[in-house]
Amino acid sequence: MSAALLEARGLQVLMLAAMLLGGCAGKGARVIRDRSFAPAFGPAGPAGLFPWRLRRPIMIAMCVLESGLGLALFVTAGRFGAGLPATAVRSMTALFFLVATGTLYEVRQRRPDVGCGCFGDISDTPIGLRTIVRAGLLCLAAAVAVGAPPLRMSSSLREAAWSMGVLGLELVLIALLSPEIGQIGVRLGYSEPCELRRLPVARTMASLRGSSQWRRYADRIVEDAPTDVWREGCWRFVVFPGLADGRPVDIVFAVYLQARRPAIRVAVIDGASDNVLSAAV
Amino acid sequence: MQSHERQMRHSTEIPRWCDDVTDPASPVRFARRSVLRAAVLGSRSAGGLLGPEDVADASAGTTLVYTVIGKILDVSPHVLVLETDAGEQRFPLAASAVAWRGGLVAPAALRQGDHAIVRRNRPGSPVVDRIWAETGRVTGTIIERDGPGSLLVDEGPAKGRRIVIIKASAAGRIQVRFPRLEPGYLIDVIGLRHDGFLQALIPATAQPPYHAGHPPSSPLVSGHIPDPVNGTAVWHEPGEEPAGLLGLAYPALDPETSCERASAESVRAGPPPAACSGDLHAVDPHATGPGCVRLPYLSVGSMLQLRNDCSGRARLLPVTGCGATARLFCDRCVSCGTSRRGRVADLTMAAFVELGGDLEAGCFNATMTIGG
Repeated sequence: MSAALLEARGLQVLMLAAMLLGGCAGKGARVIRDRSFAPAFGPAGPAGLFPWRLRRPIMIAMCVLESGLGLALFVTAGRFGAGLPATAVRSMTALFFLVATGTLYEVRQRRPDVGCGCFGDISDTPIGLRTIVRAGLLCLAAAVAVGAPPLRMSSSLREAAWSMGVLGLELVLIALLSPEIGQIGVRLGYSEPCELRRLPVARTMASLRGSSQWRRYADRIVEDAPTDVWREGCWRFVVFPGLADGRPVDIVFAVYLQARRPAIRVAVIDGASDNVLSAAV
Repeated sequence: MQSHERQMRHSTEIPRWCDDVTDPASPVRFARRSVLRAAVLGSRSAGGLLGPEDVADASAGTTLVYTVIGKILDVSPHVLVLETDAGEQRFPLAASAVAWRGGLVAPAALRQGDHAIVRRNRPGSPVVDRIWAETGRVTGTIIERDGPGSLLVDEGPAKGRRIVIIKASAAGRIQVRFPRLEPGYLIDVIGLRHDGFLQALIPATAQPPYHAGHPPSSPLVSGHIPDPVNGTAVWHEPGEEPAGLLGLAYPALDPETSCERASAESVRAGPPPAACSGDLHAVDPHATGPGCVRLPYLSVGSMLQLRNDCSGRARLLPVTGCGATARLFCDRCVSCGTSRRGRVADLTMAAFVELGGDLEAGCFNATMTIGG
């Protein structure tokens, strides 16, 4: 049991390293995606406490510190670097998260509307108690890891199960304290609403020309090209000039904006009076 | 030269159905769209958009009820004489009437020849209680700075570029809210219109901290877009539009059939060579993402119901132009309470005043209904 707890103390190092490297990667991904540091320097996170001109160097320094500590934790987790280097890196990590806890509290007091920016733009939920407690928990984890022996393979299955159980419990606790989990869930299951879906006009025309509604009204259409095409929300409207009983009419198709087998509605409208002569779904 | 190029582009490359608000034949086509849509979708519930009864309301309500626009012929403490489209009109001034001409002034301080927009105290009443004279606004990206108080501002592809002059007397007030008057950053100021430039007098909002080309992205939306949408409604100068036009420039026109089309083509063709140093800082709002409010794609001619949450007035308004520059601003309006973040509509001056907005305030908290 005590050996398992000792091993669980050592496993904190891997968890902390993953968190630090993940934070740096999240911020970096945003900078790469936007091809600029500017959005990452917004009011979000601790950088928002500083004047504009200092935000860039502070953000860079924070990323360098996070990645440096993360890599150093990995390198010193085993026998290589055990002893003083491992203790120094773990103490610095504890100090880092202690300062982060205080800073998040301060940001929450001054800018209650901004997120912590810990993992880039998925950390845009306003800083709450959960985020502060998470930083405190990570500080505690780093403090617990100070003086833990180098990581090694467990000597028994029971010992491995115990240490994995403790680590798993800790990860669940961190997940519960992370508002980013909800954001990640939304992104993974995200499908763009039809109102925002970009679909080329050519695709709409192809769907329309292959539909039964088109075949039903094609003999009344007098021109190949539509006279008007426009979109409102989930529908794209296509108007063709036509003739019905010798009278000029407008044949209006409404095509739902989806890539395959869209719903299509059609109406024939008198060109002079705008009366609806016929409509079909 | 530019207009010649535009005409050639329209006749040879762009299909005749594409939304070109400069085409003189287009307004009739745009106005008819709501009738055709109502005919094919039948009802409000079927299409999720405003239905034929709303369209009927809209066609009956395209006239200005509260607002009059004209040139001041004469003004006294009690009577204002305007030259309007309907001819010379006299308006008694309410005892509480105030005017804005670079600042709040007594109506008698207005000048003959000023272009004015006035608001009646009740619908159709002859009595006027608010007057704005020579009021202008510039909203966009600073692309050049010449000295401490002269800026060239790009208002986006639909509106072009404007010169803004900030005199020393107004510099302090503007720089409190716009600390970075540098190329690449956003500006939104209200002031007095002059021939060829705007004399900026008051900030219309606070400067966003980000570069104009990097506005924050909006949160993802699951399912359908919420309707109605809350946010900020702002106003713009008429430009080439009729001064009394009731309508709005919409920030999310369909990129396939509207003003964004040309931008998409230019993106595919690669960046054009910079004609002047300012072009390096010009930002195409269509290339910066959807902005911080997710709005459904619509087209010119689409009808929206817009409500001023501060005055309680609502009108059914048509989309009359492209308001993509509004996407760059992720601000809130605090006219009455704090609005949700982001601009949902860029109203014409007439529509803004008609809905009870005060031009010098720059915005009002709005609720926009797109579907029923």
